[in-house]
Amino acid sequence: MTRRHAEKQDDTEVNITPMLDIVFIMLIFFIVTTSFIRETGIDPRRPEAVSAAQKERGNILIGVSAGGQIWMDKRPVELGAVRQMVEQARSESPESTVVIVADERASTGLVIDLMDQVRRGGVLNISVAAQAPAGGG
Amino acid sequence: MRRKRRHGGDEAEINITPLLDIVFIMLIFFIVTTSFVKEIALDLNRPASEPREEKKTAEVITIRIAANGQVEVGDRMVDIRAVRANVEGELATRGFDTPVVVIADRASDSGLMVRVIDQARMAGADEVSLAAPSR
Repeated sequence: MTRRHAEKQDDTEVNITPMLDIVFIMLIFFIVTTSFIRETGIDPRRPEAVSAAQKERGNILIGVSAGGQIWMDKRPVELGAVRQMVEQARSESPESTVVIVADERASTGLVIDLMDQVRRGGVLNISVAAQAPAGGG
Repeated sequence: MRRKRRHGGDEAEINITPLLDIVFIMLIFFIVTTSFVKEIALDLNRPASEPREEKKTAEVITIRIAANGQVEVGDRMVDIRAVRANVEGELATRGFDTPVVVIADRASDSGLMVRVIDQARMAGADEVSLAAPSR
């Protein structure tokens, strides 16, 4: 089939080499930049902090809403289930770190309990999400 | 194959259609799954639940956060915006490598805790850790 087709219109083929180049470059770009962040599913109001830095490897996100609800992987979870989910996420990518995205009205006690659970899950590098101050200082 | 190539390089092309299919599918997969969310975050040092060596209160700068949001540096009650200046003063008198411990009440807002830790960092404290009084 293809043979006959090719023989009939041999020199009317479109040159796809430049397209291939671009497709390969895009593919490599996306492979390199993909980090498989597990989003929390909520967008809490983060506290402002000047000394916060961007986390390149922080790809296990745990959300805490103002009412104290814990969100992971786009669904609400219990505090006791956090450890297991962290262990599971860590087995998929061992160098991942945890970022706790807590609402600024969430209680400190819950955040501390959460940090202890994450620590028991085997991730020692924990940080708390913040946002840059609006007024520039 | 070999014979073909020898008598005409034109017809010896490799069929790249399956390769292209796979490359396109991979490309679409990575485009769809990529998320460029990068959180900016503050590292928190949390001492293990049972501290191995008890540090004397005199050796550290303690910042207490009460449940109602009042902040105390040492024994002085200060405003949240004055925490940085107070910690700077304490660091200057006690030495710049003095660790800072933030003792936050469990019922206080975590946003306040983050802001206090941020202020202590901005004051130049190397080691800021978070402790919580047990229930």
